[in-house]
Amino acid sequence: MVAARRCGGRPIVGMLAAALLALAAAQIMTVGPAWALGAPLETVNQVVNKSLPVLRDKRTPLPQRRRQLRTLLEQHFDFADMSRIALGYHWKELNVTQRAQFTQLFTAFIENAYLSKIQDYSGQDVNILGENSEGDGFSRVRTQIVQQGKQPIKVDYLLRDMNGDWKIYDVTVDAISIIANYRNQFNRVINDQGFAKLMADMRVKQQQLQASMGS
Amino acid sequence: MAVSDPITNPKQWTREVLRLSLVLCFALALIGSNALAQSATDQNLPKLPGERALPGETGGPYPDPLEPFNSAMFNFNVDLDQWVVTPVAKGYSYVLPQPARQSVNNFFRNVGVIPRFANNLFQLHMYYAANELARFGINSTLGVAGFFDVADSWFGMKQHNDDFGLTLGHYGIYSGPYVMLPFFGPSTVRDTVGMVVDGCMNPMAWLLPWYVTIPADAGSEAIDAVNYRSLHPNQFEEADRYAVDLYGAVQDAYMQTRAAELKRLAQ
Repeated sequence: MVAARRCGGRPIVGMLAAALLALAAAQIMTVGPAWALGAPLETVNQVVNKSLPVLRDKRTPLPQRRRQLRTLLEQHFDFADMSRIALGYHWKELNVTQRAQFTQLFTAFIENAYLSKIQDYSGQDVNILGENSEGDGFSRVRTQIVQQGKQPIKVDYLLRDMNGDWKIYDVTVDAISIIANYRNQFNRVINDQGFAKLMADMRVKQQQLQASMGS
Repeated sequence: MAVSDPITNPKQWTREVLRLSLVLCFALALIGSNALAQSATDQNLPKLPGERALPGETGGPYPDPLEPFNSAMFNFNVDLDQWVVTPVAKGYSYVLPQPARQSVNNFFRNVGVIPRFANNLFQLHMYYAANELARFGINSTLGVAGFFDVADSWFGMKQHNDDFGLTLGHYGIYSGPYVMLPFFGPSTVRDTVGMVVDGCMNPMAWLLPWYVTIPADAGSEAIDAVNYRSLHPNQFEEADRYAVDLYGAVQDAYMQTRAAELKRLAQ
């Protein structure tokens, strides 16, 4: 799109997919031994290390590999928090049933966005660069995806302390927060056309993704 | 050239004054709208009992007073991309192999040095400004008129993007509302002003009459756009695939990218 080329020259799209590829790609540790790792960094490290063999393994049937990755996502991503942040102030206007419906649909959508992308993995490497505290109970782990002959893509994972267990609640790609990007989309649709329309639109997109995955 | 000297040529002089006053009007409007727009984004709603604060959970969409215009222009750009730019880019990439297209892209980045150099200078980023100048020197000579970015590949000197919209932002001018420009894509009132100012920095605008520069500019913009599209063939399809509301996705990506660039320049 002509329009997209003004956004820093970087494709602004498929951001989520690109971000999540980082989880799956090979990685080179640039920090100290395992016992010295902070908990947030260790979480990202685990996600990257465990998804890597699954992505590389082209012999196992695709549905089975997707199942393995889905389990990994559900273990380390906090989809409930993601859903809440993605709705912004509209979250408080919804009743319990609507919140549950939205969380379920958004989770399936995000998961499929990632899982529909795994065939595209072509041996990218991931460097874990380090972590920054973002205040009490919040942390940012900085990584980059390295590709032959291309500029590296900066991918940051935002994590939050859930009683000692660090969970990922947002991913930024080249400084663009994925969840904030969805929040702008969702708020626009809710403000103009209402929550029901948002659910209908997202269901259509989710079904398209599902169909593109074959099974 | 006496004809083109803006100081001795009254016609051109009037044009420059008109241009500048237009810019000033925009700037004043921006400062005025500053307070208004900012209060609209500060929505601090009270927490429900038992809920912990999460970053961004009180956020809403960007204020978008020009939405009807923007939507129309967005649809225009999408159609333009689908029916004109993409088919042309497909034919073009069939004729010209990928490395050649990368070189064309390098050439356009190289000739765009003046706004990058000047704005880095305006913001007192002396190192970046000097770096841009050195890159231009290296790539124009060793890089064969800019077709090869040897400053990066041989010397590791990266391009430092900068423009007048960022200079205005750097000195505290608020972005103003979001604007979707036909042909050029997402912008804000401030960044549109910046784009006009950066355009005035093109030396061709001063050396040649308008009936040469305007078509020439439009032509090179069109080639740049087609060339860019040929290097990113699936960009639009990918965006549409993962977006629930494509307009909002593009808008947010632009706003977040600009905010990040300003933050980078402030460091």
